[in-house]
Amino acid sequence: MATKDKEWISIPMTVDVPYRFAAGGYMTKCLTELRDNGKIFAVECPKCKRVQLPPRVVCAECHVKNEKWVELPHEGTLMNFTIMYLPLTDPTTGKPHEPPFVYGSVRLDGATSVLDHMVEVEPDMDKVWVGMRCRLVLRPKEERIGDLSDIRYIEPLPGQKKPQTKSR
Amino acid sequence: MTERVAIVGVAQTRFAPKRSDVNYGEMAYEAISQVLKDTGLALPEDIDSAISCSHDIWDGQTISDIGITDVIGGHLRAEEKMAMDGSTAVFYGAVGILSGEYSCTLIMAHTKMSQTNRHIVNNVAFDPIYTRMLGFDFTSAAALQARRYMYKYGITREDAARVVVKNLANAKRNPCASQSGDFTVADVLSSPAVAPPLHKLDIAPDADGAVALILASEERARKITDKPVWILGIGTCYDAHYLGDRDLADTFALEKAAGRAYAMAGIKNPRRSVDLAEVGDEFSYQELLWLEGLGLCDRGEAGRFTASGATAIGGKLPVNPSGGLLSGVPANVAGLNRVAEAALQLRGEAGDRQVRGANIAVAQGHTGFCGQHQCVVVLGN
Repeated sequence: MATKDKEWISIPMTVDVPYRFAAGGYMTKCLTELRDNGKIFAVECPKCKRVQLPPRVVCAECHVKNEKWVELPHEGTLMNFTIMYLPLTDPTTGKPHEPPFVYGSVRLDGATSVLDHMVEVEPDMDKVWVGMRCRLVLRPKEERIGDLSDIRYIEPLPGQKKPQTKSR
Repeated sequence: MTERVAIVGVAQTRFAPKRSDVNYGEMAYEAISQVLKDTGLALPEDIDSAISCSHDIWDGQTISDIGITDVIGGHLRAEEKMAMDGSTAVFYGAVGILSGEYSCTLIMAHTKMSQTNRHIVNNVAFDPIYTRMLGFDFTSAAALQARRYMYKYGITREDAARVVVKNLANAKRNPCASQSGDFTVADVLSSPAVAPPLHKLDIAPDADGAVALILASEERARKITDKPVWILGIGTCYDAHYLGDRDLADTFALEKAAGRAYAMAGIKNPRRSVDLAEVGDEFSYQELLWLEGLGLCDRGEAGRFTASGATAIGGKLPVNPSGGLLSGVPANVAGLNRVAEAALQLRGEAGDRQVRGANIAVAQGHTGFCGQHQCVVVLGN
């Protein structure tokens, strides 16, 4: 008699826990400036002068309270990037981002830290590189809602060509 | 350290993509019952504290240890949980023994990655206001780190691929490994693109499994085993949570954690003193990056160091003779598996993957994306 495969029972379950996260004082100012005025505000440490975006209450290196606000331009330099082939989920919609798409990190001019976002560029290694000059593209004012999605994406400044790759 | 703490026993389940034949308590018990058998210790009488290590979101349950207090000997007794990498549980366990409060501590890490989706779970590690909604996970963050490291130090995809080739070949000698085999650099480079520069074989696969380990004070250790493995030094350090605060090619947290561990162990020149390393190669390039952060080779040199064969079993500094995380070790369990493998090497019990004449080993674990939290353990026999 043929032996039947041993059966193991597992129970499928989705644990769906709703949250509502307070943005807090610093991010509320940052997000309302973005929503209402289309401006990017960071904080500058009174001691080490690092310009930190997203703004936060304490400078991690000096452990002093950040109180000085600095407006940043919308242009900067791409510090790193990846072309994603995974359909990662957008947790605000529960729907996947359609691959391939590009994630990148831009250092806005004058900032110490770097902002991660989608890069609106062809997912092609010849069209995106570390050091590429970029700018932020915001939603039109009437469509802004006061979260990170008010920045739609990072896009390359026009008229640039990828430099020759370094070999070691 | 004035008082000494020893690892007196180690046991591991086999790691597999999916263990549908056991629930997490049964899986944990496989490792726990084996380590008790190996050491001849019994619960509850011989062990006065227990620490488990997993993570609520992986387990789908708050609090991840509440369903396993029975198997770990925590019933009507103390049981603590470490919701970080398993290497940090060793740190915590050693602190408990050094305090004089405990003399023998059972540490067990467990996770079943198969029961959920790593990308969704890992997305919750990111700040909910300014990063999470991008959909980031550990793989996409690691891709950014890999790109930055390659850009800044001239590391190539081939350099990283050699780590995969070495580790998956080492894993053939490890009966616990979830995946192993003979691969070429070309196989790694041509495996499907996931998040370039990371391709499928550059990424540690999902796995289920558990590791148990027993720590004891010097007095207890001498009675339990004639092959104690001493914790000579141990250090931990955090870097920034927000990725954009870091140059991802830097390894400041690891350098500091390693510096503390080496200082405690009285090691001035780790390149001369360390005989083997088990490091957290969650992604191929990380083995290179962490070797540099551990001070075991110069910055930007780990690619050449690996290509020279120095990190192979039989090389100058064998790295991940077990096959490392690339051979499939669950999240949270990863660092305890590094410590356990290093301890097996120093006890001369590493079977076919045994490195000859090893007296000092370094084990490194990390928690969070791009190695935010680092823990370094220096072991000696």
